[in-house]
Amino acid sequence: MNPISSALPSDSLHLDLVTLDLATLSPLILLAAAAVVVMLAAAFYRHPRPVMILTLAGLVLSFTALFLPFLPQGLAGTPSPQVTALLVLDQYALFFTGLIVAATFVVAILCYRYFGGGESRHEALYILLLLAALGGGVLVASSHFASFLLGLELLSISLFALIAYPRFTEHPLEAGIKYLILAGFSSGLLLFGMALVYAQLGTMQFVKIGTMLAAPEETLELYGLAGLALIVAGVGFKLALVPFHMWTPDVYEGAPAPITAFIATVSKGAMLVLLLRYFLMAGAHQSQSITFALSLVAVATILAGNLLALLQNNIKRILAYSSIAQLGYLLVGFLAFDRLAIEAVAYFLTAYFVTMLGAFGVVTVLSEGFNGGSAGEFHGAAERDSDRLADYAGLFWHRPWLAGVFTAMLLSLAGIPLTMGFIGKFYIVTAGVEASLWMPVITLVVGSIIGLFYYMRIIAMMYASGSEAAGEAITLRVAAPSFAESAMLAALVLLLVWLGIFPAQLIDVLGGTMVNLT
Amino acid sequence: MEATFYLSGAVAVAATLMVVTRASAVHALLYLIVSLLAVAIIFFVLGAPFVAALEVIIYAGAVMVLFVFVIMMLNLGKAAAVKEREWLSPGMWVGPSILSALLLAELIYILVPNVQDVQGAYGGAALSGGVGVDSKEVGIALFGPYLLGVELASLLLLAGLVGACHLGWHTELRSGSHPASRPDGVRS
Repeated sequence: MNPISSALPSDSLHLDLVTLDLATLSPLILLAAAAVVVMLAAAFYRHPRPVMILTLAGLVLSFTALFLPFLPQGLAGTPSPQVTALLVLDQYALFFTGLIVAATFVVAILCYRYFGGGESRHEALYILLLLAALGGGVLVASSHFASFLLGLELLSISLFALIAYPRFTEHPLEAGIKYLILAGFSSGLLLFGMALVYAQLGTMQFVKIGTMLAAPEETLELYGLAGLALIVAGVGFKLALVPFHMWTPDVYEGAPAPITAFIATVSKGAMLVLLLRYFLMAGAHQSQSITFALSLVAVATILAGNLLALLQNNIKRILAYSSIAQLGYLLVGFLAFDRLAIEAVAYFLTAYFVTMLGAFGVVTVLSEGFNGGSAGEFHGAAERDSDRLADYAGLFWHRPWLAGVFTAMLLSLAGIPLTMGFIGKFYIVTAGVEASLWMPVITLVVGSIIGLFYYMRIIAMMYASGSEAAGEAITLRVAAPSFAESAMLAALVLLLVWLGIFPAQLIDVLGGTMVNLT
Repeated sequence: MEATFYLSGAVAVAATLMVVTRASAVHALLYLIVSLLAVAIIFFVLGAPFVAALEVIIYAGAVMVLFVFVIMMLNLGKAAAVKEREWLSPGMWVGPSILSALLLAELIYILVPNVQDVQGAYGGAALSGGVGVDSKEVGIALFGPYLLGVELASLLLLAGLVGACHLGWHTELRSGSHPASRPDGVRS
């Protein structure tokens, strides 16, 4: 059995690339093209402003291309969403690609002032950002182990450089090295797991694995099962599920704030979306032992994330543990494995994207960033972001709008009604209860109660009236947010509240997209 | 034939263990080359001579270059020269030599019967039931069903290149006129 000769004869007819597929692939092709164009532009005219505008234009174009399949079909006929064996751009993939592209758009805007605006040479950042977004897009669309690994590596390798981007500052470099080592290790686990699954079944396509395992006489043997466990462990590192979560707080704290937002949203989200697709397409959820292990992981993740967050005095670390706990909540919905579960995960993930971008957006706006001199170096006065809890004391009395945005985001993370976070959590609980996942659902409720405490602690700190002096320091150090940043944060808050009050609009979209996966 | 598989597997494991336990990076690199050669033999025995050749050319070859670069770029003066002599002491050659001698013996054992066999174009049938995959088939697969994978791999290299270019940028070339804005004088 070898991969190449078995894949060739039977599949080559419909698996070769045809021109029609280029239209289907256009969102991803446009992202890649944008990266190349931005690189060339930066090579000939090294100035951040045009480079950043090109980046945003590329993201907008790619987002628009997502709607191509929904146009009335012309003479070409309906292109199939499956493009070669590697990628499948069905509506599930298109929705999450859109989410990733939108999140990258927000992060690109947040990066501009943070990395020194027009004064500093940070063009390479945008190339890496586009490539990382492409990696995420490939991940959510992949239906084959090869594209899974390539997308993951594209995302990780861009992220190493992005995390260590202020390369003369201690914390980002440390975080970059930590992420590099752990990402390498987890990719190794993942690869070994894929090899074991392939060794038993002889195929790397998710669908084929699924159909082979659906046959009554075929089950995963011991090493196929070990392979699945290794895949889950490798993905667990990326998702920061609990036995594999050690790197998260350090990397979140060390990385520049906008990049932290990117890791928390795009990197984790794409991975979870892929894992869900793998489980549903390859039929991995029929394996009792794996689902049992995952529900234990979900329980541990929720409890550990929330309990450890209680002990922190650093906003970025609190948000890191909070994101661990949120992933635990997502896993509860994930474990239900039915149509409602997919919708719940998709809704919760959207809410999670909006809140995490908003929360880290506020941290970014309040930090000085790494705005070096014209020499293009990143050793501005700031050795770290404004991430101590004390920095936020009395923030409301100096920057009422920012404090309001931050409050809205924290309330959504805590799951207070009128925000997306509430609907998302409600959805997850519904999916969990319908699948009778009592243990994880009870833990989710307990975890949310614990979580309320540390979110309220930050909010109380921001509105404390006796401590204006402490908060004043931050106002003096950091200029007011630019127009683009304010507009971005305002849009996020509006989205958060609007979809929290009228969730039906998003749910309708989700219902249409998720149908054809199972 | 199966014995060759297990022998080169054992050599690979032993060499890799030595890689992670050596204190000196250069010694570790030497064992790493042996480990990669052993993996190349495993690929060859499994019926993938093209991958075996790539393993030798890219991995073992690139590691050799790395080896040379480490010695050349860290060559900072007398102290380094002494250190270099220490690295190249005869004792350190013994371990890698034994392991590579084993591999060489194995390679001769595999190749000699096939030299007389005209049909065995690329080392003959490997393990029982294995089918040889030659470079043409690899090429057809890469530019047929796996074309997108090749494109993605090239973008992966682009990401690595841009990242390395940013992180490894030599500052003194550009910021020579701004000595005040460079606190890390040690580095340049």
